[in-house]
Amino acid sequence: MSLPAGPSEGGPLLAPPPAGDRRARLLGGGRPEGARGVAVAVASTLVFFGAAAVLILRSPGWPAIRAAFFNGEIFRESFPEILEKFGRNVLIFTTAEILVLALALLLAVMRTLPGPVFFPLRLMAIAYADLFRGVPTILVIALLGFGMPALRLSGVPTSDLFWAIVALTLVYSAYVSEVYRAGIESIHPSQVAAARSLGLSRTQSLRYVVLPQAVRRVVPPLLNDFIGLQKDSALVAFLGSVTEGLRQAQIVQAATFNFTPFVALALIYLAITIPLTRLVDWLVARERARRQPGAAA
Amino acid sequence: MRKIVVGLTALLVGLLACAPQDEPTIGGGETPGAAPAATAAECAERNRGAFESPGALTIGTGNPAFPPWFEGGTNPGSEFELNDPANGEGYESAVAYAVAEEMGFTPPQVVWVPVGFNKSFAPGPKPFDFVLQQISYTPERAEAVDFSESYYDVSQAVVATEESPIAGATTVAELKDATLGAPIGTTSLDVINEVVQPNVEPAVYEDLAGAIQDLKAGTIDGVVVDLPSAFYITAVQLPKGVIVGQLPRTGGEQEYFAMAFEKGSPLVECVDLALRALKEDGTLERIEQEWLADKADAPVLQA
Repeated sequence: MSLPAGPSEGGPLLAPPPAGDRRARLLGGGRPEGARGVAVAVASTLVFFGAAAVLILRSPGWPAIRAAFFNGEIFRESFPEILEKFGRNVLIFTTAEILVLALALLLAVMRTLPGPVFFPLRLMAIAYADLFRGVPTILVIALLGFGMPALRLSGVPTSDLFWAIVALTLVYSAYVSEVYRAGIESIHPSQVAAARSLGLSRTQSLRYVVLPQAVRRVVPPLLNDFIGLQKDSALVAFLGSVTEGLRQAQIVQAATFNFTPFVALALIYLAITIPLTRLVDWLVARERARRQPGAAA
Repeated sequence: MRKIVVGLTALLVGLLACAPQDEPTIGGGETPGAAPAATAAECAERNRGAFESPGALTIGTGNPAFPPWFEGGTNPGSEFELNDPANGEGYESAVAYAVAEEMGFTPPQVVWVPVGFNKSFAPGPKPFDFVLQQISYTPERAEAVDFSESYYDVSQAVVATEESPIAGATTVAELKDATLGAPIGTTSLDVINEVVQPNVEPAVYEDLAGAIQDLKAGTIDGVVVDLPSAFYITAVQLPKGVIVGQLPRTGGEQEYFAMAFEKGSPLVECVDLALRALKEDGTLERIEQEWLADKADAPVLQA
């Protein structure tokens, strides 16, 4: 979990690139070459993707691939249904994300509590993170989704949707608690010392001094984990009684023996994850610029 | 500038290094214009080159191999779970060996490979001559694969537990408010949607095991599967299970299981010839009597 901590990448400390010159970076590292650089980049891109396209389109298997993965008719028919069922993924990952952000913060605070008295709490938080980071997400979903309703205990929900959200929350809280912890530990102890000397209690200094700075620092990795959670919401298909995006795509696939519905679903995922990824990049860049020597803090 | 040219050339060479592989030889024999083969063996002989591995009939099926389609348990060293298709027991295994014999293969020449359901119709070279895995013919599927003729006419049935609200149902209308489940890849889901038209969205499972588990847990009220599988489920997997009844077809078209081939495979004709011969001389009927006789009768739910 790397924090967006300060300048890196080949010593830009000595010669920082002009902030915001993203084009130069995209076109190939530190040495801007002006018009010639752009021309080479364009030519190289054309040659590379042109050759790749020719190679794929002329491959002997291409007609079969096109029929099996890019069938326009099946795409048009299945897309609206898949999009509709993807609404369940949205419900699952937004609900889980809200729960994750709260539970993970609690875990992170538990783990960073000082003093021997809190050892049991620290131990619990560590065991939790170890357990849920160590088990494949799909197994947690399957164990809870198929196992809990089978207990037939009154008061225990039998909804697969419920247990899917619980499983994703448990797993992602383990990861996100580590992100929070990294943020909390990145706050210099002098900050707490200063807060305490001003008369703030331990809780107050955590609440008003440490956490606001820590959380702000870890927003990009938090968003990264949110993207991961969005994608992993497809694992819920495994449970069956929740027909979400992936299961709907599988249903069409099984009925038609055609893989186009998977491509349709992939496009839906990309439509939400790429903007988020760009947002993360932008936040990281902004944070880096802010911490550049001489930049206004 | 030279560096750039070198770089571009390297890119090109790198790309072209993954040169297209040779066109898979699918045709094999069959000279155009020749009279159609009269027997399965003749057809197989003519299309010798079309088989996945020369001198053998390679058949794909699901793993685990479920009864009553496959029976007789598994053998040490076999990669198949539950039952080894190579022992010739169970309906599909017996049909496969009968077809193989018609095509001129001896039992040891029949090779079984485990095939995931998706892989059975994915484009690209296939590690089998055909798949035999309780796959129902549908016109949509026939766009992606070639199907043989029917080797089993199938009907769908509803399985429930004794305590399920639909356990005593006698009409289709009584199923309307039930949560029904079906394994993915079967046509059971279509039957639920077309025949039952339930008010509750059906649950679709990765495999039968998941559906049975949720049925046991009470998450769903019933599972729709083909009738022979329904008998297996209630006999083995679901101690308190009952077969509620068979679902009537609405479309009027008889649903059937068929072998699935790579599109354009010349072996479809050979297998069809074999199946026709087996139907004519009563062998198919005999195999059905042997393996499915006690698994074909359940009350039909009133539409």
